[in-house]
Amino acid sequence: MMQDPSNLLVLALVLPVAGLLLALVVGGRYAGRIALWLMPVGLAIAVMLVVSVIRADDALVYDLGGWMPPLGVALRADGLSAIFILTTVAVIGATGIFARTEFRTLPGQPETRTSLTFWALLLALWGALNLVFLSNDLFSLFVALELLTFSAIPLVCLDGRAGTLAAGLRYLLFALFGSVLYLLGAVLLYGAYGTLDIGLLSGLVRPEPVAWGAAALMTVGLMAKTALFPLHFWLPPAHAGAPAAASAVLSALVIKASLFLIVRLWFDAMPALMNPTAAQVLATLGAAAILFGSVLALRQARLKLLIAYSTVAQIGYLFLIFPLIVRPESGSFAAADLYTELAATVVSTSAWSGGVLQAVSHAFAKAAMFMAAGLIAQSLGHDRIADLSSIGRALPITVLAFALAGMSLMGLPPSGGFAAKWLLLTATIETGQWWWALVILGGGLLTGGYLFRVLAPALFGSRQSVTLRAPVARYREVVVLALALCSVLLGFVRLGAFDLVQIGRLAKAGMGLP
Amino acid sequence: MISAEMLLLISFATPVALLLACGWRMVRERMPTLFAFAPLPALATALWAVNRPPWVFNEARLHITFVLDMPGAILLGVAALLWSAAGLYASTYLRGHPNLGRFSIYWLLTLTGSLGVFVAADLFTFYLTFALLSLAAYGLVVFDGTPRARRAGIIYLVLALLGEIFLLMGFVLLASAIPGDSLAIRDALATLPTSPWRDPTVALLIAGFGLKMGLVPLHVWLPIAHPAAPMPASAVLSGAIIKAGVIGLIRFLPFDVPLPDWGVALTAVGLLTAFYSVVIGITQPNPKTVLAYSSVSQMGVVAAVLGMGLAAGQSNAVMAATFYSAHHLLAKGALFLAVGVVAATGPRRLWWVLVPAAILALGIGGLPLTGGALAKLAVKPVLGDGRVELLATLSAIGTTLLMLHFLHRLAASASPDPSASAPIGFALSWMLMFVAAIGVPWTLYGVTGIGVYDDVLQPKILWAALWPILIGAGLALGLWRWGRYLPPIPEGDIVVVGQPALRVVVRCEDALERVEGGLRQWPVAGLFMLLLILILGGVMFHGY
Repeated sequence: MMQDPSNLLVLALVLPVAGLLLALVVGGRYAGRIALWLMPVGLAIAVMLVVSVIRADDALVYDLGGWMPPLGVALRADGLSAIFILTTVAVIGATGIFARTEFRTLPGQPETRTSLTFWALLLALWGALNLVFLSNDLFSLFVALELLTFSAIPLVCLDGRAGTLAAGLRYLLFALFGSVLYLLGAVLLYGAYGTLDIGLLSGLVRPEPVAWGAAALMTVGLMAKTALFPLHFWLPPAHAGAPAAASAVLSALVIKASLFLIVRLWFDAMPALMNPTAAQVLATLGAAAILFGSVLALRQARLKLLIAYSTVAQIGYLFLIFPLIVRPESGSFAAADLYTELAATVVSTSAWSGGVLQAVSHAFAKAAMFMAAGLIAQSLGHDRIADLSSIGRALPITVLAFALAGMSLMGLPPSGGFAAKWLLLTATIETGQWWWALVILGGGLLTGGYLFRVLAPALFGSRQSVTLRAPVARYREVVVLALALCSVLLGFVRLGAFDLVQIGRLAKAGMGLP
Repeated sequence: MISAEMLLLISFATPVALLLACGWRMVRERMPTLFAFAPLPALATALWAVNRPPWVFNEARLHITFVLDMPGAILLGVAALLWSAAGLYASTYLRGHPNLGRFSIYWLLTLTGSLGVFVAADLFTFYLTFALLSLAAYGLVVFDGTPRARRAGIIYLVLALLGEIFLLMGFVLLASAIPGDSLAIRDALATLPTSPWRDPTVALLIAGFGLKMGLVPLHVWLPIAHPAAPMPASAVLSGAIIKAGVIGLIRFLPFDVPLPDWGVALTAVGLLTAFYSVVIGITQPNPKTVLAYSSVSQMGVVAAVLGMGLAAGQSNAVMAATFYSAHHLLAKGALFLAVGVVAATGPRRLWWVLVPAAILALGIGGLPLTGGALAKLAVKPVLGDGRVELLATLSAIGTTLLMLHFLHRLAASASPDPSASAPIGFALSWMLMFVAAIGVPWTLYGVTGIGVYDDVLQPKILWAALWPILIGAGLALGLWRWGRYLPPIPEGDIVVVGQPALRVVVRCEDALERVEGGLRQWPVAGLFMLLLILILGGVMFHGY
């Protein structure tokens, strides 16, 4: 197997799917155990994948059944995919450990509904995410997105209460609109260019009405799934209502998948459409998301809703990378010298590295936050922010983890969030777009504001003792702390070392485009 | 013989190890007794550096670089002294306090950052230690848990974060100008004068560090936060922590290349600060608040000195400002401790505290033979003979007035119990700081070659230092006689504009929340989806 590292791509897909099928066969009593056993294997595969990509210094490609595109379907892992696959398995693994006892069938007890569904959905989610990161054609990506959506929505309404069912239904409808738009765009592209393979499309797509239409439809569809402002209103009730473990995965990973797709579309599949004004539009929506999400987070009365609105805001940061990758003054492209023109427009790697680092450190930090909020809610019996005074005394590790994760969100050194912000700010300077620097910095201040609302009473409250309704298992606190520490320690990954992001970008693979 | 590298490592390992030890409840409860020892390795490091060439420690893989040069070593040494004495004070102050574990954690965090800024030599390490110090100090400001402390904490934090933002942007601009991926401050300084972003960079750096020093109008947090903290924390806040701003200006402004415009601007802001805070300070009844305004005023003088150096490209301004700041650090730290000692001392023994406090207080105004007189002498060559020098002398008059007002308020704050006397821990740390505030400047003055002792004793120089004091004393008599006619001014003076501003912010938030409510409607969401498709498509069409 090791002779050809591209087999790893298949393994990364097969493992969760095999686990899912096995879990369905053996039932809920053992589903959790299967999932937990598979996760270290998945972690090993992901690590090997990252190492192989670095060693090959190029994307790994696996042609399914030996059929090359456009006839066959290829899997492709570049640096970006490898990073996200590793992040996914790390967060899903931590979630698994965190949820181990929560969704368990006790010996001698009848099997519960959630014990099977939670683990099956978690495995399905894992497989779907890997498929998103590895697929190299727009149709497989559509399948992956659907699989992702349909495993995410039941996680929202796992407890079956009316409120969460409504939130889940709203999520479903919105995701459905998104899928329809995406599919419409894909159909247009297929009609015009006769292929859905990303590598082939990148050479074929020309700036013409059908491509513009397709790009606009697909981007907006994916934006709805990413919950980018103003299409975000389904997210807070869905993410806040789900069980803590599920919220963690949804907020940390699921929304990033559709964002990943937007990046793939814009920079890999249709680079010829890469348009500075469109990039500014995307970033403007991002800036609005930062403002709205942060202000709404400031005004929430419940901790989980606050964290969910914080996700809305943090998504905004990720959309700021578009204009930082595409320089504004490069204007319109003439068809003839399109490629040379583009080579000049893609300026710095800072924006790429910063964006990826932002996404990854946010994934760890947000997972830690939702789990911390879950532990607090479980031990107090509520998550009203007004009544969190001195909770730091009762749950020091959990609150420390929450604070560390918050540090990363705010972009305080030495966290991953800080390194990301540093790189993004550098990119704003390099491309001469200081106004996005103002947005990034102002967003940090607002983030500080909503975290202060939680942390100030939690750490500096005047209550001398807090009585907990239910004890919190130490190992669950440690998992949360580990996730938070990951997001902080990411800042120590040497800023330049994130060149991994650049490996296998289509330009390097010789497809002619940066 | 222990190497400098080891010393530096131990200096930081000690507070960090103590911090980790706070994880055990048993240790945490006893931690304050170790406060006095935590900064001692840093003191040893500073002493090691005396009369040695600058020494650089570079850990490139972690992006950590330290430098031990003269300005850094002097400030590191005196800061360590103050932290040690204030730690001794704190261990008595906290005895039996229910929240002493919490205090220990924030004390040690702030200590680590406070010592770190003086030796950090690359942008990352500097920003890290600076942020650590700024944010951890919040825990000290709000420690008392009173509504007043909480309000002070919020104002402190908002402005501290604003300062962080200025600095982050300034640092990113600095780093962008450096060719290659070096983050060393030395390289940043070398490229700054020719950087395409020179002016915004210098503006952001002055704003960020000036905020930490309390330069007007970014001083509002200081007279609110410093008095709100517990006594030993006030001492380190007003003594050691604001010096992070001074070392920042020293490290990041290019003093060997003249930048006349920025130099003049910094001098002007500094002098404005020096006078403005005296005017506000004399209206304050609380001795701690008076001291805080005096800190603002003194940092204004330091800024003026650095501004003059920047304008003319004289690098001797760095040592002068360092020496001035070192004296202020010790004297102001000592005076804050004196406030605590006086509050616990009855009238019978009061003179034992008031007389030394008066010497230190007037020393800040430049009383002959005190460390303050030496500090004024040290900055004289930088200020020149012109208008700036005259204004600096006038500010010495103002300082004398302010410090006499402080002594007046201090005497009034003594314990009503005639036989009360301060606990031994308080008295000891105060004595230690008094001796240090007199002795250390005298020693440094000769050892570091800032000046020669013979100059100090010349009658002409003694008289030049004395007459501002006498005029200040005359004005103080007037203040006692007619002071009650002064209008009452709240702590933080111009902070009052924050209230209406806050209302506006809240109204904006309300508006945003209403908009969000509108976006939650299905038809609205659908409309937006359609609109976005049209916009994106249209923009691409237009761009082509």
